[in-house]
Amino acid sequence: MSRLPKGCSNVCGDLAYQMHVCRSRFLSSFSQFGYRLFWPSGLQLIETAWEKLPVNVRNRLLTFTTPFAEPCCLRTDITLAAVAYMSSHFSPEERPLRLSYADKVYLTPQKPETSLERFQIGAELLGWEEEGADVEMLFLLLKYLENIRITDAVIVIGDVTILQNLLEKVPSILSKRIVNSLISGNYPEYSRALKDLQGKNVNMEFMKALPDLKGNSDILGIAEKILGDDTLLKPTQRIYDSLKALGYENQVCIDLALARELDYYSGPVFEIYLPSCGKPVGGGGRYDGLLSQYGIIGQAMGFALDLEVIASVAEASNPTETALVWSGNLSAESAFKRTLPIVEKGFKVEMSWVKDKDLSLALSRQKKVPYWVDLSEKKVIRLNCDKTLSFEEWLGEETC
Amino acid sequence: MLTIVLPTGRVLKDALSLMEKTGIPVEKINDRGRKLIVNEGNFRFIFAKPMDVPLHISHGTADIGFVGSDIMKELNVPLVELVDTGRGKCRMVVAGPPELEPRFSGHESGLMWLTVATKYPNIADRHFSSLGVQVQILNLHGSIELAPVIGLSDCILDIVQTGRTLKANNLKILDNVIPVSLYLAANKKSSQFKWQEISNIVHKIKEIKEGEDLEQDI
Repeated sequence: MSRLPKGCSNVCGDLAYQMHVCRSRFLSSFSQFGYRLFWPSGLQLIETAWEKLPVNVRNRLLTFTTPFAEPCCLRTDITLAAVAYMSSHFSPEERPLRLSYADKVYLTPQKPETSLERFQIGAELLGWEEEGADVEMLFLLLKYLENIRITDAVIVIGDVTILQNLLEKVPSILSKRIVNSLISGNYPEYSRALKDLQGKNVNMEFMKALPDLKGNSDILGIAEKILGDDTLLKPTQRIYDSLKALGYENQVCIDLALARELDYYSGPVFEIYLPSCGKPVGGGGRYDGLLSQYGIIGQAMGFALDLEVIASVAEASNPTETALVWSGNLSAESAFKRTLPIVEKGFKVEMSWVKDKDLSLALSRQKKVPYWVDLSEKKVIRLNCDKTLSFEEWLGEETC
Repeated sequence: MLTIVLPTGRVLKDALSLMEKTGIPVEKINDRGRKLIVNEGNFRFIFAKPMDVPLHISHGTADIGFVGSDIMKELNVPLVELVDTGRGKCRMVVAGPPELEPRFSGHESGLMWLTVATKYPNIADRHFSSLGVQVQILNLHGSIELAPVIGLSDCILDIVQTGRTLKANNLKILDNVIPVSLYLAANKKSSQFKWQEISNIVHKIKEIKEGEDLEQDI
């Protein structure tokens, strides 16, 4: 027995096929809206990634030195690679730039996770100036999930600029402490930090209410009453209204305390949840600040989804039934000629080249395929009821 | 339906008395016998070893649960810490024989290469690392106080409530690490989609705690 390194896994069979379908549909549905396919390098120079990653991610990088003596890490995040690529390969006139990708990212797992590698699908929209792009991305995301028959996903939307604005005049150590307590989901620490915020000219009523400001769109009304103004809430309201108008009202929730682990976000952020999964299956948001670090003025937004989780719940797989096709005494070319009509009818086939008929039949039962086909006799056995059909009967009767 | 994971062992009593005060029905729990899952009203209760509670919450097999802050810090799994219930209060300390006291009151370099026995290897590692000190950590699963007495370790890192066990084994508290108490924690997804139910419990616990604090002050 050979084994993989701890934290790594192979995917095969139904799940692999499902992942393939989900990945293909993702890339094709985004390419219809002008998203170019992006295949980033698997490696990143540590010197380019280090400053842009938060400490808790830096500590989890998988690092090594290349044969060219350059300190590198396995890619933790495709957004960084996409922004770096855009900054050095496109002129300002070519913006906005839309990229989509499907690839692996690597990070030392945090308990209770055990995987070193994750297969992500995602998209980035970089360098736009006006409104609408954030809705574009969320709409396409929901549309894609619908396309793979995930209609019960819920997107939770927040906006990190609300807190950034309210804490603008607060010493950075204290504001970081408050933001970090929300990122780590530590509400007692958040309450303790608020005590140190007393007398710092901050809307304390809003700050105290913030952890409770989650739910449907009514939350925005409550927040507006406390803030006495809707300026800070407008981006979230606009996104919500647009998604509602597009028919996704039931798939959108608001959480004004939502903060994400990567600290390059600078606007609306969101997380995606599925009923069958106890943690977010993806997320993203606005990261204009990261873009400016690469010398690009404009707005940027992106998201990523865990392809394996999405594929495990999607109903995207082709329900085509498989037939084990026994060549019998036929030559390979004759066998293929007789197999083509079966494939054209929509069946998946698996060729069986063994000479022994009983062995082939036994194999089909072992593989639990629904049909065993005898190409030389032009007969088919439906294995669940052992009913024998002629080729013509079968192809006329069965549809996939 | 809200699923609550409860720690078996001595903190269960604290959790149950608090739940009763918040209006969560506990009658069936008291008569549960050896059952590990109990349904009552709009609640499902799961019983797990204290060390397993954070995993149940993190995976989403439970929406919320009562968990010691020592265990949360040790396992460090992603969950939403909702409220410190103020129950089950104790301290995590470094303790050892009195002869070790001068090393702990002097410069940190005096602590280099101590052998520390503990049930909390991650907390011990973080604590001594934060002092810039390298120590050898022995991960034991019980009777920690025994280790320095029989020469298995120089000192221990463990939780202390009354200090009686330490005293009985001629050990002294050498350093305070963190205060420990029982927390209510939630699964991240549940904290989004069941927030109304969860926040009702959180606010009731806060009210109870404030009332008790006020009584103590009086």
